[in-house]
Amino acid sequence: MTAVSQTAVGQGSRLVFNVYMVIFFAYMFLPLILMVAAGFNDFSTPSVTVWRGFTLKWFAVLAQDSRMWSGLVNSLIIAVAVIAVSLPLGLAGAFLMTRLESRYRGLLYGVMVSPLLTPGIILGISTLIFWRETGVSGGLFTASVAQATYISSYAMLMFMARLERQDITLEEAAMDLGASHIQVFRRITVPFLKPTILTASVIAFLQSFENYNTTIFSIGASHTLVTEIGSRMRFGLTPAVNVIGIIFVAVTILCATTYVIFREREKARAVAVRG
Amino acid sequence: MNRLLRSLGPVMTTVIVLLSGVWVVGMIIAPQLIMVEQSFWTKDRSGDAVVISVRIDRLYNEIDVLRFDKTDAEALAPSPRRDAKIAGIEAIIADKQVAIADLEARETTPEKVYSLRNYTIMGQAHLAVFVKTILASVAVTLIAFVVCYPMAYAVAKLATPGKAAIIMLGLIIPYAINELLRVFAWLMILNHNGVANYLLGLIGVGPVPFLESGAGVFVAMVYAYILFMVFPIYNTIETLDTAQIEAARDLGAPTWQIHRRVVMPHAKPGIAVGCIMTFMLSAGSYAVPYIMTRGTAEPWFTQLIYNKFFESSNWNTGSAYAFTLLVACIVFVFLVMRMFNVNIKDIAK
Repeated sequence: MTAVSQTAVGQGSRLVFNVYMVIFFAYMFLPLILMVAAGFNDFSTPSVTVWRGFTLKWFAVLAQDSRMWSGLVNSLIIAVAVIAVSLPLGLAGAFLMTRLESRYRGLLYGVMVSPLLTPGIILGISTLIFWRETGVSGGLFTASVAQATYISSYAMLMFMARLERQDITLEEAAMDLGASHIQVFRRITVPFLKPTILTASVIAFLQSFENYNTTIFSIGASHTLVTEIGSRMRFGLTPAVNVIGIIFVAVTILCATTYVIFREREKARAVAVRG
Repeated sequence: MNRLLRSLGPVMTTVIVLLSGVWVVGMIIAPQLIMVEQSFWTKDRSGDAVVISVRIDRLYNEIDVLRFDKTDAEALAPSPRRDAKIAGIEAIIADKQVAIADLEARETTPEKVYSLRNYTIMGQAHLAVFVKTILASVAVTLIAFVVCYPMAYAVAKLATPGKAAIIMLGLIIPYAINELLRVFAWLMILNHNGVANYLLGLIGVGPVPFLESGAGVFVAMVYAYILFMVFPIYNTIETLDTAQIEAARDLGAPTWQIHRRVVMPHAKPGIAVGCIMTFMLSAGSYAVPYIMTRGTAEPWFTQLIYNKFFESSNWNTGSAYAFTLLVACIVFVFLVMRMFNVNIKDIAK
């Protein structure tokens, strides 16, 4: 691989490539660095051009912000509800897609992945309209349902990828030996799916927690952490918003690094197994 | 059904079918249908209500006149003819009262009138916003492709494994940071007294109204959604056998030919997914214009939808606007699938 890339790319294009990389990553990271820096600036509006010295006081301001805290609680409630709804729905969909033999399978598949191709605001609106017909107005419930509509699709795709690699003979052998369907499901299928259940939960949690567009159209008068951040960015901007940015950036870097290290290890292991 | 039933048994098959049904029908199809249905009718209060109340008033007047007739008739000498006349007048009064009750019921619960009015009232100004939103989203998609294709190729085929891992990390971090915060970072740069205007001020250029002109929305949108193009393309290029690229090179193909004839055809599903995601996120973005315009620049189409629902609470017109956006996205998905000759199976992976 190393040798290939050395010979395949000339000196000139290597330079172009490096310049491109530098510009690209400067473009990606400079705005974030500015945002983080402004969180430490002792100035009443988020700014880096007017520097009044280093301070941590915006952390204290944020810690006393009750609406942010209630938003965080709402976000967690919705995220848990979304996981509880979208994992079973996604798994059911995946079973149908991998084990149903019908000519409508393709159509059904199209419908099941369609929420991923639909703008989030439309999922939010249509859920709100639908539940208003039954007398339920916008709130945490409708926000959870709206989010679960498309997060179930993610879960389904993940479960499908796993189920397609399943060795079906194992289930059949267990059944031949007299195990009931429920036993086979509990003792063979669920353990096989366990890693995916875990990753699907993490993905569902992150998708739900970070969601803005679907949530803002379906949550009614209530708020989550992210919708609250959104309204702060438009009205009453203070560096406390930057402090949230700092926390998000720190958590993201931590998670992304863990993920990449994990992924590289898996890759190395796969190479080692293949010999 | 057969394999499903055989491997999971009747109980679990029922549960699976039920759950899938709840999701597909109750969460995906029914809400969309109700939204579409709602977009095709209006509750006619204004125009009709006036007509109805005039008719009710007229009926009350007629009843009053009839009552006078009745008293006149009662003053006559008793005779079968008099009784018949009174009974006739009473019957007419009763009829008119029924008609009034009916009209009054209609006055308080206005009737649904099916029409295309929710679509036709969009008008020039809103239509212009719609067209602008779609064109700008296509532009965002094109820019994202031009910038991201080389990056995806570089990570998948050029960089050494160690370097690729670091570049990957550098892509995942900004990708995973919340959309709002990434937009906010650009708000700080393009604000009236932001970093960009500070730097321009140093070379003597007066403050440029980035936000007010709508340029801010576009810049932030490219930044917010560009990385949705990288990963799908990377995933497909990674599965391309490097030997194919080498073979093409050995046979004397110039670099652009290698990309046009070898890499891009292989990466088609990834490019399609990247384009669809970037376009859909841009056209359907509420966060970016909400934060970047701060109400000063021309709105994005999603903001019009939001206003119809939550500010003027005209849900029927709002539904029509939302459905218009949905149709635009569906058309885009099909166009891209036609253009790249891929189907939905290739896309959702």
